[in-house]
Amino acid sequence: MSQPSSIQRRFPWHILFFLAPGLLIYVTFSVYPLLDTLWLGLFQEDATGQRFFAGISNYQTLLLDAAWSEPFWNALWNNTKFFIIHMLVQNPIGLFLAALLSSPRLRLSNTYRTLIFMPTMLSVVIIGFVWQLLLSPIWGISEGFLYSIGLGQYFDAWLGKESSSLITLALISVWQFVGIPMMLIYAAMLSIPDDLIDASVVDGSNAWQTFWNIKLPLILPTIGMVSILTFVANFNAFELVYAVKGALAGPNFSSDIMGTLFYRTFFGFQLQSGSITMGAAVATLMFLIILVGVMLYLFVVQRRMKRFQL
Amino acid sequence: MADVKLSNIKKSYGNTPVLHGIDLDIKHGEFVVLVGASGCGKSTLLRLIAGLEDISSGELCIGEQQVNSLPPAQRGIAMVFQSYALYPHMTVFKNMSYGLKIAGKGKDFIDAKVREAARILHIDHLLERLPRELSGGQRQRVAIGRAIVRDPNVFLFDEPLSNLDAALRVKTRVEIGKLHQELGATIIYVTHDQVEAMTLGDKIVVMNQGRVEQCGTPLELYQHPATRFVGGFIGSPKMNFIDGKVAAIGSDHIEIQLSNGCRSRACVEAGDLKVGDSVTLGVRPEHIEERSDAGTLLSGDVSLVERLGEASFIYMTLGDGTEMVVRGSGESTVTTCERIEVSFAPHNAHVFDSNDRALRRLKPGNVHSTAQLAQLKAVGQETL
Repeated sequence: MSQPSSIQRRFPWHILFFLAPGLLIYVTFSVYPLLDTLWLGLFQEDATGQRFFAGISNYQTLLLDAAWSEPFWNALWNNTKFFIIHMLVQNPIGLFLAALLSSPRLRLSNTYRTLIFMPTMLSVVIIGFVWQLLLSPIWGISEGFLYSIGLGQYFDAWLGKESSSLITLALISVWQFVGIPMMLIYAAMLSIPDDLIDASVVDGSNAWQTFWNIKLPLILPTIGMVSILTFVANFNAFELVYAVKGALAGPNFSSDIMGTLFYRTFFGFQLQSGSITMGAAVATLMFLIILVGVMLYLFVVQRRMKRFQL
Repeated sequence: MADVKLSNIKKSYGNTPVLHGIDLDIKHGEFVVLVGASGCGKSTLLRLIAGLEDISSGELCIGEQQVNSLPPAQRGIAMVFQSYALYPHMTVFKNMSYGLKIAGKGKDFIDAKVREAARILHIDHLLERLPRELSGGQRQRVAIGRAIVRDPNVFLFDEPLSNLDAALRVKTRVEIGKLHQELGATIIYVTHDQVEAMTLGDKIVVMNQGRVEQCGTPLELYQHPATRFVGGFIGSPKMNFIDGKVAAIGSDHIEIQLSNGCRSRACVEAGDLKVGDSVTLGVRPEHIEERSDAGTLLSGDVSLVERLGEASFIYMTLGDGTEMVVRGSGESTVTTCERIEVSFAPHNAHVFDSNDRALRRLKPGNVHSTAQLAQLKAVGQETL
């Protein structure tokens, strides 16, 4: 830097030019609607449909007025259970399947991969409909199937009971989406060099020790990513419950999650009239919940997890 | 004591045979180098010995024990990989102690072992670092350290130097040589680099297309290559080959009519050869002299001169288009496009028959072998 910086550098217009298209789309379709939702949650409507600024009164109603807060906490708790079931069932199974798929001794692994991933590509509505038929106590084939393998006495109308409908829905969702963690973890496993596995075999570890000591630590970042994706997807979930149980998320709101609560609040359903502003408040809370979750992950979990150069 | 004995080892993937029956005897404490072009099966052979791949047929013994079906950890071997294969999420200490931990050794024992190995390799100060914080040479040491702590009877090295830069490679090569003397263990070392093979090996096994082409000490391979492949593989620059026909057979030499019209003498045993048979004459670049009266005279056009200071490699084309390399003196004044005459002595010639088998040389090397070995090593250093 021998020359003094007397010449002012030109404004880097080209950077702006290249950023503009993406930025424009992002602002129009993502940032603006989000901000508008946050803003809208601060209004109320009178009987004539006139909007007026109401501060945080929507949130007060939602969190403190029993008529609103009970469904809200119910939906939030249900949603948390929905997420926990995914974390406990979907991701371990995805990990297990990925480990099986990456075994060089497994034949037809491509076929299995495609088959397991297939439901993910189907519409949630179709999945919901198909499972509703399968599990129906009247004409579903599940009961007959269970009897034919000697487990008939365990059959129940799982989707119709308060105690089991949410769990059943979560398991249907797990069945559909297990392919995603499987694929992501499978890809991470493939990127582990063969030499590392060989070295661990020469060091004397058996298949289980190799998995536990070598492979698992190396795919941990991917598992973290899968978890956060699961979290976001679960707290945004709506379609499956709507397709199977309708907007009332029955029986008796036992399968109500944030998505369905929002739907009823915003659009109204049967005896409940829709409220755009209250809906915006629910949407804002959903956004905040997801935001907090993701922040926790990014700043607490991911900081401690290192990606290793392989 | 752990001799390694391979009897008729074969390996095929599906219907594709990769190794066609390898026989090899390795004495305890020997440094054996498997060398060959890529795809010749040398790495596969090493993996078979390590137990990372199954042997299709044949018998592998380490010590007194047949180990064909033993898992790697029970064979008493340790392996150093080309990529080092350090566990990226473990510190150097954990990398080195992993095998012992798996084997269920005590904490104090592991600690002592690892520190001892680290001391030998001068990596004591790196024990708490992660592999990514190490340089290539340091990673290499850790990989070797990981092998040492297990006290193996046999060390297996799979091209351990190929990821290092040239200077470090020479340095590490020397260190591996010293380490071998220090540990006294059997080492089987795979490389494609003939210089590494010549400098490190007590015994070199030259492999080609899944077969052992020749096995012997560095000097044996240099002076008595059994086949044309070995002749061309060992030595740098490569041995020159000139096609020809047997013109006359004497008691201690044969005469060859070369393709460029010259007639050359070679001190080899004729064996079954008859006059008129096709043969290939082989002469090493370092055995050819510029402008000398001794022996066969060849003339050709210089296409390129590489000047290395102490020597010059002169690339020339003979009248019939045969390419040749000559190792001239460092002060050589030869320039490109010049026509020069070179010669070699009959006792320095190698002759290969039409099946590429070498004829036995009668006065090999003539015979200051230690000096030649020194020269050979010097040649090797230059090519690095």
